Amino acid sequence: MKKNIKNLLVFLSICSVIALLLAGTNFLTAPVIEKNQSAAANQALLEVMPDADGFDSVDLSAYTLPATVTEAYRETGGQGYVFKLKTAGYGSDMILMCGVHASGTVTGAVCLSSNETLGYEKTYGEGFKDKDAAGVDAVDTVAGATKTTGAYKSAVKDALNAALILGGADVDIRTEEEILADNLAAALPAGEKNFEKLFLYEDIRSFDAIYRATNGAGYVFVTGDTFVGASADGTVLTEGATNAEAVKDAVAKITATAFEEIDLSAYAELQKFVVSAKKTQSGNYVFETKGAGYGIKGGNEWHPASGEYIVVRVSMTEDGRIIDCLTVSEGETDGLGDACADEKFYGQFDGKTEDNYGEIDGIAGATMTTDGYKQAISRAFTALNTLKGVGTNE
Amino acid sequence: MSDKKASLATLTNGILKENPTLVLILGTCPTLATTQTVIGAVGMGIAALLVLLCSNVFISLLRRVIPESMRIPSYIVIIAGFVTVVKMLVQAYVPSLYESLGVYLDLITVNCIILGRAEMFASKNPVVSAALDGIGMGIGFTLALGAMATIREVFGAASFAGIAIPFLQNYKIAFLTKAPGGLLVYGLLIALVYAVTHGRAPLKKSFSCEGCVHAANCHVKSCETKGEVQ
Repeated sequence: MKKNIKNLLVFLSICSVIALLLAGTNFLTAPVIEKNQSAAANQALLEVMPDADGFDSVDLSAYTLPATVTEAYRETGGQGYVFKLKTAGYGSDMILMCGVHASGTVTGAVCLSSNETLGYEKTYGEGFKDKDAAGVDAVDTVAGATKTTGAYKSAVKDALNAALILGGADVDIRTEEEILADNLAAALPAGEKNFEKLFLYEDIRSFDAIYRATNGAGYVFVTGDTFVGASADGTVLTEGATNAEAVKDAVAKITATAFEEIDLSAYAELQKFVVSAKKTQSGNYVFETKGAGYGIKGGNEWHPASGEYIVVRVSMTEDGRIIDCLTVSEGETDGLGDACADEKFYGQFDGKTEDNYGEIDGIAGATMTTDGYKQAISRAFTALNTLKGVGTNE
Repeated sequence: MSDKKASLATLTNGILKENPTLVLILGTCPTLATTQTVIGAVGMGIAALLVLLCSNVFISLLRRVIPESMRIPSYIVIIAGFVTVVKMLVQAYVPSLYESLGVYLDLITVNCIILGRAEMFASKNPVVSAALDGIGMGIGFTLALGAMATIREVFGAASFAGIAIPFLQNYKIAFLTKAPGGLLVYGLLIALVYAVTHGRAPLKKSFSCEGCVHAANCHVKSCETKGEVQ
């Protein structure tokens, strides 16, 4: 027992001596190690702000910054800020570093880590150097890598906004979707924030878009930046609205819309590409037609064709002017051709006629999809002409 | 004079006759892992040399104090302490080496060479001899690692200590930079040492029993007489 206690004491003494030795070494090396680590961390920051003297970390909890901003550093000399950003690319998340000068220009942007297929993010940031907000907007996304470069560009814009916010400015950091949702909710609170965009069967030209509350509370009419709420019977609820008559007419048209299914059995050719055809009481036509995009015509070993047609719903006046257009279904490539289901693309066909429907901006890097979509639109015109007995353009 | 000779023998033993890597075949893991580059290998060798020297001296100083039953935990604490000291120094003053050695720097703690020398030599010899043994073994380890890394880096990556060798750029044997290539070079170097020493080194009497890690529990009088080391 005595021997064991002696052994233990010897062992504890050895441990104490070693602990003292470690404490001494730590006392000596800890400041140097910390300085080295801080220099290594600053190296990444200096890459996007080469003239910086040093950086202080910013406590983000005190600010409401865009969600992409994960870390922020203030240049000690007041030159500006450096932001670490996390955004969703095509493959997975991209981690970016972006420096913003106090004057509101980008001092540099680099991608720290990514898993993108084409690798454009490695050099895309170089194009933002010395650009201000307008300059960043003007930087083009790369055809074939719109998801990667679009997310990159959006993150750089977030960094610019974040710098403004940290500088004390009041900046609206909501996304377009969030702004729209907020405006709709403000115009018609009874809609309980649940709205759907109406596909227009009637030629209601006085509004850019009409939204219906899914709970049946009413409608919201959009003209430019003006949002006017109306009840289900067409009574305008927004104070000061100047277009009450137009709103009432529009609601009357919407609620009165009735369809008559057109029997296509007599039109063997049309049946090949027209999924359905209807005529409204007011004489407008509504077609769902098929177009062959990448899903039918394309495909290779990396991106096999899905075998799906692009199906488009088009409403048009009897004289051949497109009222509204909507992508019903598509099987195009993710991140490329599937942009045809985006309103920014198909919204371009509104108001077009058979003579000018081709004058739209195609989807970058997805020519087959654009052509397939145009084919579906062209077939709607063919169907209209055939039903009217004018002839066909195919 | 004979003392001086004995001291010199202690110092030089580790370089060839009892080279820890190529003769005693100890520390195989760091040998294979850190010999892809000359800088990494020499860095590891010097770090191990420092730990060997410090731990040998410390253990020799305490050889009469450390109880027999507590010797292995005591050695481990001492070695781990010095490894941590060396690690902190390397991290502070040679950060690039710290990055390149990675976890192998911590693993010096369990390097058989260091525990082996503590058990075989430092615990039985005076401080000066223990220090010379640590230096000799450390130099032997460093030279072996350096030689192996030179072969692997020059012929595998066509560079030496990070400096590209232009005329070898098109003749790289990439296999040598991988683990199997390392094992091959290791084997060839062992064979070379065996050939140079005519196979005598591993059979040295002083090593065969006293130097054996199993010596304490071994009941065989002499490995040589029993023909167990052939």
